[in-house]
Formats: sequence, C-alpha cells, structure tokens
Amino acid sequence: MLDSPLPTASSNVASAVVEGSPIERSLAAVHPLAARWRGRVLDSMEGTEPTQRWLAAVPDIGPTCEVLLADRLLCDLGKEETEALMQWVRGSQDASGAWMSVEGSPDLSLTVLGWWARRCAGDDPSEASMVKAQRVVHSLGGAQRANFGVRLWLALAGAVPWDFLPAIPGELFLLPRSTWVSPSRFAPWARGILTPYYVLARASASVRLPDPSPLMLRRDPDATALVSPRLTRPGLAGDILQAFDKTVKLTQKLPRGPLRRRAVARAVDWLDETRQRHGGWFSTRPTLLALLAMRVQGARVDDPRILGGLAHLRATRGQVVVRRGVGRGQTALAQGVGGSRVSTAARLVLADRHPSDVASLLRMELSSAGPWQDRANALAGGWPHEPGAGAHLDVDATCSVLAVLSSIEESSPLRAPAWAARRRATDVLLAMQEGPGGFARFERGEADVFMQRFPWTDADLLAQGSNDDPNRVRLAARSLTHLGRTGFRIDDDRVARGIDWLRNVTADAYETRSIRTLSALAGAAVATCPPSHPMRQEMEHRLRARQREDGSFGDLVATAHALSALLELSGACVQCHRAARHLAEAVDRHGDDLERASQATCQGFGLSPRLEDPSATAREVSLALRTFVAQTTGRRGRSTQR
Amino acid sequence: MSPQPNHYDVVIIGAGLAGCATARALRDADPTGTRRILLVDKCTDVHPQFSGEFIHPRGAEILDKLGFYAPLVQAGAVDVDGFLAFEHADAQPVELDYADVPNRRPRGLAVHHKTLVRTLRGELRRAGDVELREGWSLIELVRSDSGSICGVVLSGPDKTRHTLTCDLVVGADGKNSSVRKLAGISDEGRETIGFTAGVSVTDATLTRDTYAHVMLGAWGPVLAYPIQNEADGTVTTRVTLDLPKELPAKGAALKDHLLEAYVPFLPAPLSTQVAEAIRRHPGNLYMAPTVDLPAPAAIQPGLALVGDAGGCSHPITASGMTMGLRDAETLGEEARRRAAAPRGEPWLDGAALRRYRTQHDRYVPTRQALASAIYEAFRGEREGSRAIRRALFEYWGSGRSARSRSMALLSCSEGRPSVFLAEYFKTARHALSSSLVPQHARRFPVADRVRRARGAAALAKDKLGLVAAVMWAQVRPSWMPHASR
Repeated sequence: MLDSPLPTASSNVASAVVEGSPIERSLAAVHPLAARWRGRVLDSMEGTEPTQRWLAAVPDIGPTCEVLLADRLLCDLGKEETEALMQWVRGSQDASGAWMSVEGSPDLSLTVLGWWARRCAGDDPSEASMVKAQRVVHSLGGAQRANFGVRLWLALAGAVPWDFLPAIPGELFLLPRSTWVSPSRFAPWARGILTPYYVLARASASVRLPDPSPLMLRRDPDATALVSPRLTRPGLAGDILQAFDKTVKLTQKLPRGPLRRRAVARAVDWLDETRQRHGGWFSTRPTLLALLAMRVQGARVDDPRILGGLAHLRATRGQVVVRRGVGRGQTALAQGVGGSRVSTAARLVLADRHPSDVASLLRMELSSAGPWQDRANALAGGWPHEPGAGAHLDVDATCSVLAVLSSIEESSPLRAPAWAARRRATDVLLAMQEGPGGFARFERGEADVFMQRFPWTDADLLAQGSNDDPNRVRLAARSLTHLGRTGFRIDDDRVARGIDWLRNVTADAYETRSIRTLSALAGAAVATCPPSHPMRQEMEHRLRARQREDGSFGDLVATAHALSALLELSGACVQCHRAARHLAEAVDRHGDDLERASQATCQGFGLSPRLEDPSATAREVSLALRTFVAQTTGRRGRSTQR
Repeated sequence: MSPQPNHYDVVIIGAGLAGCATARALRDADPTGTRRILLVDKCTDVHPQFSGEFIHPRGAEILDKLGFYAPLVQAGAVDVDGFLAFEHADAQPVELDYADVPNRRPRGLAVHHKTLVRTLRGELRRAGDVELREGWSLIELVRSDSGSICGVVLSGPDKTRHTLTCDLVVGADGKNSSVRKLAGISDEGRETIGFTAGVSVTDATLTRDTYAHVMLGAWGPVLAYPIQNEADGTVTTRVTLDLPKELPAKGAALKDHLLEAYVPFLPAPLSTQVAEAIRRHPGNLYMAPTVDLPAPAAIQPGLALVGDAGGCSHPITASGMTMGLRDAETLGEEARRRAAAPRGEPWLDGAALRRYRTQHDRYVPTRQALASAIYEAFRGEREGSRAIRRALFEYWGSGRSARSRSMALLSCSEGRPSVFLAEYFKTARHALSSSLVPQHARRFPVADRVRRARGAAALAKDKLGLVAAVMWAQVRPSWMPHASR
C-alpha cells in the first residue's frame, strides 16, 4: 500500500492509451458482459416468465423459504416451480449443514428456514445434511432464538406461543399518523411487516406446516417447555421493557370493547391503502404476510388483492447462479426481495445504453402522491426502487437514474422530458435531506424511529439503517454529488450541511470505511467543493493511500469505484493507470467468469439486509474503464460514470 | 469673451447610455446652445463587454424626453410590458405588469446594447451639438490649486496627450470607472458577486413575447428578454445566466456546465433553444462580472459620477440603465436651473452638484437594497432567502395590488419610504407564515418548520439595517453634510 499519493499524470502517460491498447481491448471484452446483464434486467422489468428472468439482486434463501412455507396456505406454486425453488435452497446449503448469510457466516434464521423448507418439500429429516442443519440450529441457540420473521412462522405453525414475539399495542394503529409512536413513523419495510403481523397475531392465525420442533432447544431432552427467547436487550431498561411487554400481552387478554376490533380494522385498511400498482406491497416479505393476513381476515383465493399479490411474487422470482454451497455453479430459481431494481438497471444502462432505455426509465418516474411526502416537502418526482412501486420513492434509484439522464445525448428527442424529470427529482432530493444533513432513502426520519430507541432485540428492523450506516453515508454522498453536478455548491446551506454531516459521520473512521464509501465521498467532494476544500483534499489523500502494490484497491468492484473517483478528482493520473491496468488484466484473466471474481453486494431490506449483486463486476469495471479510456484519449471530457 | 479652444463647460468620460443621455440632457438644459460639451469614449465603437439592455418605463420616459426613444425603436428596440417570474420551470409564472403601476408609462424598452450605444452616438453626431470623440481615453484629472477638478488629460487615437480644461467632469465610464479612481473616490464595499453569461436566441419561444422572463431553480436566476426586432421579422432574445464568483468551469467547459446545471431548469421549449444557442455560440460565451458597489460619493468639486460609476448592483432588477438615465435627467435638471449662470461661473456649481447628490443618494440606495434583497431571495442559498423567495411569490400571487406595488418599486417608479417599509413588512410576514406552512408535505416536522421560520426571521433581522439605511437616505435633509468617503 502506498503511503503518499503519487504524482498526477502527465500528458505523455495519457498518450500511452491508444486505439486498440490492452485497456481498450479489455473494455471491449467486458462490455458484452455488462450488456448481457442490461438485457436481463430490462427484460425482467418488461415482465418475462420467471424461468427466463434473472435476478440482479440476489437475496439469501430466506424469501424463497418463506414463499415455500406460505404456499401451504396460498397454494400458488406449481410442482416445477417448487422444485426449481428447492434447488436453490438445497444447493445453497453449506457442507457444514448451515445456510450462510450473504456475508458468508452461518446464519441461524436461514438455517431454520432452509431446514423447514426442505421438510415442506418432503426431505427426510434423518438425511445427513438435514441432521447437520439441525445441529447447527441447536448450536446457535435453537429455532426460538431466530429472528423475528422466523419466530413469526414458528408461531403461525403453532410451534411457539405468540408470546415469543413482541406485543404491539393495538392503540398504536388508532393514533394520529403524526405522533411519534405511530406505526406510520416506522421504515416502510417495518410498516409492511408489522401491520400484517398485528392482524395475524390478533387472530392467533395458524398455518399447517411440517413440525419444526426438532429445531427447538429445550432445557433437557424430556422437557416440554422451550427455552423462551429474550425479547429485549440485557440491562435494566430491557428488563422494564420485558415487563411492559408482558403487561401489554396480559391486557390484550382483557375485554376492551370495540378498541381491538377498530385497531384491527385500521390495520387492514392500512394494508389496502399501501398495496401498490404492481399488486404487491413494499417488498416480498410484507407482500407474503399481507396475503396471509388477508386470507386470515377472510379474503378468498380468487380475491383480486390475493391474485395481484401472488402475481407480484411470481414477477419477482428469477434465475440465479448458486455461488455458495453444495450446488455451487448450478442455475436455480430464487425469490427476490422485490422486482428488478431501478438503481441497478440505471447503472447498467449507463454501461450499455440503448435508445429506448431513457424512455423506459422516464416512464418509471413517480407521478402520484406517496407516504414519503408526509415529511418531505416536494411534489411527486424521483424514482421507486422497482417498477410499479408507485407509492415509494427510492433516493438511491433516483440518483442512479439522474446519472443516466444527465448524460443523455444532445440529439435525443427525450432531452426536454428528461430535463423536466431532473428538475422534479432535484427538488425531491433536496426535500429528502434530513435536518442534520444526511439524506433519507425512502422516507424522511427513517433512520431515527422513536420506537427504535427502546431496547427491543428486533428494534433495528424498525428503521432503515442507523445514522452512520455506510449505505446512508453513500446515499448522502451520491445525493450531494448529483446536487453538485446540477450546480449546487458548498455555498448553499443545504449542501454545506450535507458535507458537514458527511465529515462528522466519517471523521476518524476513514480507515474503516470501504473503498466504495471513500469513492462516493470523493465524488461528493469533487462535485460540491472547490479544490482547496479540506474534505476534497482529505478524500483524495485517503483514497490514494489505499491503493495496493498490484494497482488494485481491493476487489474488482472496489478498484473500479476507486478508479472512477480518482478520475473525477484529478484526471488520469499514474494511480489511475495502475488501477486501470489491474482491471484490464483481471478481465483478460477471468474472461466470461468475471462476475464470479468479485463478491459484490448491495443494500437489501429488513431481514435480508445485504443482497448479492452479480452484475456489479462487469458493470462497474466496464463503466470505470470506459471513463478512463474516454479521458485518456480525450474523446469526451465529461465523465460517463456520473 | 470668446471661448478658449481647449476649454469645455462639461467633459463627459464614457459615451455609453449614461454618458450619451447626460450629454443630451445637458445640451437640452442650455437654451442658448453656447455651452461646450465634450463626450469622450476610449472605444471607437461599442465597448466589447456584454452590458445592460433592459430599461424600465421610467428610463424609457427619459429616453423619450431626450429624443432617443423613437430612433431606438426604429433601430430595432423592443417595447416591453413587464416581467414574468417563474419560481421554477414547471410553475405558473407570476405576471408583473408595468401597466399595473398607476400614472406611469406602461412600457419599458429592451435593446441590444450595441444597437443602443450606436444609435445614441449616431443621434448625438447627427445633431452635432455635442462634441463626440471616440478612441480617446482619460489619462488623468487636472486639479486647481484649491483641489477642485478643472480639467482632464486625454490620450488621442495617435497616443498624444491633450490637456483640456473644464468646469465639470462627468464620470460615465461604468462600474470600473477610471474617473472615480483618478478622483480618489473610495469604492469601499465594492464586491464582485459573480458573473453573467449571455447568449442570443433567435425567435425564442417565450411565454409572453414582450416580457422579461425571470426563471429560478438553477444555481442563479436566468433572465430572457427580447432585445431586437430584426429587419427580417425575427426577434432576438437575450438569455443571461447568473454564475458564481468561483466559476465552476472555464472556456469550452463552461458551456457543458451551463447545459448541465442551468438549461434543465428552463421551461420547454425555451430550454432546447437555449441549449442549441449555447452549443452553437462561436468561441467563449459573452461574460460580464456582476459587481455590487454601494453608492460612493457621487460628487467632488468639479466632478459628478453618473450611471454605474456612481454605484451599481446585481442586474437582477434590470435597473442599472434606468438609474443611469435618472442620473442624466437629474443632472440635466440642475443644469437647467443654472442655465442663466453668467460666464466665468461654473454652469453646475457646488450647490447644484450637492442637490444632484442628494437626489442620487435617494434613489440609488433604494435600488441597490432591492436588487440585493431580490438577488439573495432568487438565489436561495440560505434557508431564510428561500423563505423570502417563497413569500415573494405568495405575496405576488395574493393580488394585483400587491404586484403593482412591488412592480412600482422594482421599476424605479416608486420612491416613497412608507411604501418601501410597508413592502418590507408584508414580505417578512409572508416569509414567516410560509415557513411555518409547507407547500406539499402533509405532516411536515415541527423542527423543520421552526428551522425555516428561524431562517426567515434571521434574514429579516439582517435586512433591518439595510432598510433603515434606505429609509434614512429617503428622508435625509439635503442640507445635512455627507460623511466624506
């Protein structure tokens, strides 16, 4: 690793890149890979069959398993589809018996779900891999210690009492939406989970599922009582909250007149109100639970809401390549956490643009009111995280689409509509800035939910990331980058507040920040601050110092991000040339297997917080090399990255 | 006594709008036609720098009085009816009509700066009663033993020095006035605010053909107004884009920046036309610095400053040329008063110049305060200024009378301190109320409302000093001596 920045490039270095140079040849080789992913993602958005669709954001096996469990009630999956989904579940099991999180560590909740899904499919519990999975679950504390989602399924199956889940006082649903403790203040994902959960819990709903009791941990083999999970964190506050939880559960058993009925009716109304144009709810898990809740409330299988929800679930399934586990390399069918992500699609469009792409993206712009406007003072605009999710703004997707729109061809007839969409989106971005300076992704205040301050073990699920979450830092940096490119500079108090927030949040922690985060910070600094600004200088220094001797900055995606950031900071310097050469060599070395050379992830929701991003390597390497070649050959001054 | 060949009653430095208008106003104030007036400009043609092109009705009225209006219209100048202000490109514009201002001329004038200056000089040349020397520049001012200015040293086209004596030197040489510098008049407080880039668009699609369009949303406001009726029936529109002091890009890259950061904030189809004009503009765009120069002392013994030389501000209110014309008119009125002054006495003596300054110091600070406040609000770089901007649009949307009062102030037709003060308080009240009530959010957090209201209140408080200064300038007795600057 270098201790100090190398001198910037001179013109003779730049002239080393010529037509047909190794880097250009590598660009030519990686571009078709990115183009293939572009085709897959945009085709998925057009609504192709699941067997021809590819997931560009691959979650763990959790959503797939839950769909398989829910199908016992919903009865929607065909035999082939079930088998294809099971192939994903079985193939992802590790030789140790565990199912791993996206980060690669054994995960209790996933292992419970994986085992249970296999049992649903009729796998023998005495089979070696099933026994291993059971042992893993026991070694990790038993199924009852799994996350909220798994315990909910256990309760639905009657394997644990509903007391193993936190109580939601029904009165919360009757409170005005502006109150701090109203469920409307939870992150949209949490709202989507907790509302149907309340309906299911009030009804003590039950689904006939294979017995998961072998996964439960008991005090001794003969005991019938389960080791009950602690719902709150250790400590006095946790103890008090645990007592409060018990009190609430006790009071719920008392007759309280119409209160409970009205609260449930209100929750059901919420479910109806929050159903989206694509037929589903905020993402897969809320959709599944909402369908279950509606069925529990008496909706028939031919109810249009049920049919719409099932169609949405079907539309969010797609093919994946098993990357980890006994079936590594196999192609299987998996349930995504949502539809094809607009942000991924926009990045792929940047890498491989077709004339119709901009029109497709413009059609996805939000044009109707949504709950995000409760606390954000802007007219409808921006983009959702998936097509058809018309009620939910996603600032991350908005930034990605804005990058495409800002590099639209001068001759394009869509220029004027694209400008209009940019104007609206810029207003939306400004409105989504939080008081301290950061930016919200879905709804303002999502990082600071009042109820999250209570020491629940599952409290983190109520909010969309903590305040200094790397995703939040990158989102703020990307938002500021866009605002900077739109002309907003640090002389504007909103930009200054954003930059100050970034500096405060990242201060003294640069070493622990990922290259991707540092690159995003550098991009924000370049776009909004003059060259003499300390933040810009600091970012440049930190980023340059992270380059390794082989020219890389870590894996290929990190190197691509760093290369793009350095090109923005100072043009094609020597370090950029080394990074570009490293990427080019990797492209040559891996060929078509490039996407497996780097385990890139992206942000998910709630119980699937990280998703695999299989298109990231080809996409980001292609974008970075293209920008590098453009700068060094002087073809186009402006970055193609955006 | 026969006149000395190298002596003039008045030497005017700078033959732009203010200089030419002053020359004509002084000439008209001399019924005998015996006073010698010399008008000097360093450029043989129009100064190449991009400059003002919009004149309010008050200025158009003066041009008409001076006999310049008809020739200008004949040369292609466009009668303008007011302003259209767009809070953002998709918003319904607010119409600020000149015709709504009671008892005032209902139309202003917009004209290409080159056409303006060429026409004015042509008219002076044709009349032949003012001596016009182009390609002559000021080297130094000549002072008498008492320290008053009594002449100028000029450099001719052949670079030879010529010393001329005069009773009065008029500095009409713009914001970078050499006269002001040579006279040692302090320009304390002068500040370069940023730059204005300009492009011409042929047959631009404006919402109203004869209005100046002020479009907000980008880093700085964008103005578009017609400046020239061409012989072939087309109309040339000037589009000006306000840029920061630290230019984000220079040269050719600046065009890319404008296309990226400004053009998207214009309403269609004007945006496409402006983009095309920027792309096709040969070489670098026309640029001019925007300067804030709080009115310096506009007189010294033997010297008067007119136009931008005597104070200028951001061009957002388009009042610079109107102010220059008012200076010319005021100086002309003083000269008319002294028309019968005997030979041997200065035409415009010390008392006349003091009266000129008193008048000048009444309308110039008002214009500067308005321009500064409007620019700050239209830029919207602070919470408070955004609140004021919102409040202005709300106030203008509240009724015709509100728009007419604002228009009277903005177009330099209204100078009463009571009106200025009343408008300030109304805007401040609207700013506070609009800060507390969001436009779109249904459950806007209290903390955000309070932050916005605090920003508005802080800005209103900051502006109190400015308001007080303007009020004092309006009511200040003319006999009270000025603090020397």
